[in-house]
Amino acid sequence: MSEMPIDQLDLKRAIAGDERAMQRLWSQHAPHIDAVVRRLCGDPELAADVSQEVWMQIFRALPSYRGDSQFGTWAHRIAVNRTLNALRKIRRLAKLEVDIEDDSAMVEMDNDRTFLAESIEQAMTKLSPGARAVFVLHDIEGYTHGEIGEELGITPGGSKSQLFKARAKLKKLLANLMDDSTTVAGKGKAHVAPV
Amino acid sequence: MSHLSEEQLDQIIAEEKARLEPPLNDWQTIAARAREEGLIRESPSRGWASSQSWVQAAAAVLLLIGGIAIGRTTIGLPSATQNTASLPSENAVPSSVPVVDAAQPSSASATFASLEEASATLDRAVEDYKRATEFLAANNSSGRPGDSAAMYSKRLVALDQVFNATESALQTAPHDPVINQYYLATMGARAATRQMVARPVVLRGF
Repeated sequence: MSEMPIDQLDLKRAIAGDERAMQRLWSQHAPHIDAVVRRLCGDPELAADVSQEVWMQIFRALPSYRGDSQFGTWAHRIAVNRTLNALRKIRRLAKLEVDIEDDSAMVEMDNDRTFLAESIEQAMTKLSPGARAVFVLHDIEGYTHGEIGEELGITPGGSKSQLFKARAKLKKLLANLMDDSTTVAGKGKAHVAPV
Repeated sequence: MSHLSEEQLDQIIAEEKARLEPPLNDWQTIAARAREEGLIRESPSRGWASSQSWVQAAAAVLLLIGGIAIGRTTIGLPSATQNTASLPSENAVPSSVPVVDAAQPSSASATFASLEEASATLDRAVEDYKRATEFLAANNSSGRPGDSAAMYSKRLVALDQVFNATESALQTAPHDPVINQYYLATMGARAATRQMVARPVVLRGF
C-alpha cells in the first residue's frame, strides 16, 4: 500500500492534542484502517465499535511512532492487534487453536448448499472467525503465515491449513458470482470482473 | 454446486484488496471519544467564539494592542506623548515616514458596521504598528543601563522561533486572521530587533 508521507507538523500537532491535525490523519488513513477492521469483524455494527477503539489506540500511541515504517503500516498493525483483541474479548476467536484442528472452515455445510454469496464480503461472513482472520490477514492484508501465527497464537502450519479450508469454502460460496458475471456484468456487480 | 478456480478466487481477492469504502464512523464520533479521553486538548473548530470571524478579528486587535502595551511595559519605553515631548530634534520624524497621530482618540470604543470595515481597520492598525516599530527602532536612541546587545540578540532568537511557528501555522490556515496578526506582528518586531542588534551602540527598542 503506497501512501503519502505523513506531515511531521501534523503529527506533532496531533500528539499535542490538536483536533484538526488528528482529523487529517484520520481522513487520510481511515479508509484503509477501517477496511481491515470491517473484514476481520464481519459484522458492520461490531466493526464500527471496534474502529473507535482502534483509532483511540492509534492516537494514544502517536508519541511512540518513530517513523521507522510508514505511518499507514504502523497504524495498520495497531488496527489488526486491537481488532483481534476485541474479537478475543467477545470470544469470537476463543479456542482458536482447537478450531484449527477442527474443520472449522467447513461448518454449516448444509446451509452452504442454499447460500450463494453475491460478494466476497458476504461470503467471508460464512467463515468461522478464526478462518476469516487467517484469510483476511494472509490473502488480503499480505501477512505471512509466521506473522499470522504470532498474531493468533497458532502455528504457521495451522494458519496454512486454515487458509486452505477458508479458500475452499469461499470458492464454493462464490461460485455463482463468477457464473453470473458473464450475464450480469453490466448490472453493477461490485466485485466481479469478466474472467 | 460448481466451484471457482484458484485463479478466479485470486481475481476476486485482488478486487477486494483495491476496494475502499467510507470510514466506519464519522469524525465527530471519533472526536467525541478522543475528547472524553483527553486526547484532544484543543479544538479550533469547536465553540462559539472560534466560529465567528468578528470575534477572531477582535482577538487580533486585542493581541495587537496587548502586544504593544506589554512591549512598552517590559522595555520601559515612554508613552507616545512623552516620547514626542522628549524626543530631541534630531529624532524628528523623517518626511518619508507616515505620521501617526498619537493624540488621536483610542479606537477601543469604536463600533463597526460590517466585517469589512473591521477588517480594514485591523489592516490599517497592523500597518501602523509595523511602521511605528520600524520608526522607533530607527530613531529612538535613548538608552538605559539594563539594555544590551545581548538582550536584543536573545529577543531576536525568540522572535525567530515565533516567526517560524506562525509561518508554519499559516501554511495550514492561510486565511486565519489571528494567525496572520501574530505573523505580521512578529515579522515587524523581528525586523526592528534585527536593526537593534546590528547597531554598534547600546540602544533602546520599541
